[in-house]
Amino acid sequence: MKIFSSLLIISRPIPKEPVPFKEMLPLKLRATVSGKGGKSSDVCCIHEMSVMFACFKENEFNQDLCSKEVEKFQMCYKDNLKTSKTKKEREAKGVLTPGEKKLSHKQLNVLLKKFPNVK
Amino acid sequence: MFGITKIQFFNSNLKVLSTIIQQNGMSQYPNYYIKPIYKKDSQEELIKSGEIKKLSHLPTRAALADQTSSFSNDPLANLLINYCMREGNKILARNLVEQCFENIKRLQLEKYHKTTNEEDKHQIDLDPKSILHKAIENCKPILQLTPIKRGGVRYQVPVPITDKKAQFISMKWLIAAGQEKESTVRFNLQLARELIDAANNTGRVIKKKQDLHRQCEANRAYAHYRWS
Repeated sequence: MKIFSSLLIISRPIPKEPVPFKEMLPLKLRATVSGKGGKSSDVCCIHEMSVMFACFKENEFNQDLCSKEVEKFQMCYKDNLKTSKTKKEREAKGVLTPGEKKLSHKQLNVLLKKFPNVK
Repeated sequence: MFGITKIQFFNSNLKVLSTIIQQNGMSQYPNYYIKPIYKKDSQEELIKSGEIKKLSHLPTRAALADQTSSFSNDPLANLLINYCMREGNKILARNLVEQCFENIKRLQLEKYHKTTNEEDKHQIDLDPKSILHKAIENCKPILQLTPIKRGGVRYQVPVPITDKKAQFISMKWLIAAGQEKESTVRFNLQLARELIDAANNTGRVIKKKQDLHRQCEANRAYAHYRWS
């Protein structure tokens, strides 16, 4: 008897749209991107660091004998700081450099404004 | 470039400026006042390059009490005095550092007169200020350990540091080593000993630096965790 009743339910006509669709947001892509999740890791000079540590271990942490490696490591860090600073400034202004693959949200917005969606 | 714009700005609309100018924090000077150039050699450099003409009629701040063109003025020694200072008692701090320099001179002279070999005599540095510079340079660490939380665990991650930070750490360590002593020994004598030791690449502070490097070496596997 139970099975029969359930079969009856299936045979009932299903309403065509049980939940009517409402367009809350316009169904198209926006012409901008938000600035969320723009953080990237600044890990740098790992190779130089490992070379320096290897030298330190050989010479029992005497820094004078590893001056070459130490200088290389420090130069690498300084260069990295400089480049990241200039990059940050450019990204904040939204300056586009041709051939750049990783863009910040501001740069992307500049690019999207230049080539807007066809309406 | 910036200097020219400043001059033009200042000359052209002085009256407008005085209405616009806002206070520069707690400073008594508005922010267009330039800092004084009190060092003789930097002044001569400016005269040579001709930049002095741009700066000569700009409103300038008064020099601070420790900014003198004196031959004995040393910015690093001034910084050491400021780091030694507690509760704004600069007179005491300056006295301690000056007595420390005197102690360095005495200790080095004693060493100088005790050595009989001529070659060894020439190698002994008798200038306390050059000893201070050498000591600070020798105690500068290259890396630092910073705690970074990942997955609920704090990892001590080795991170490279800037030159300014390294200088601060080195001076902090030297002062701390001077304070770590028996109660019968004065701070200035202990600091003098530590500075001489550090200038010769020996002693407690150098050992502390090497220990830090050892720890960094042990934790080098975490180096890729850092993100700043």
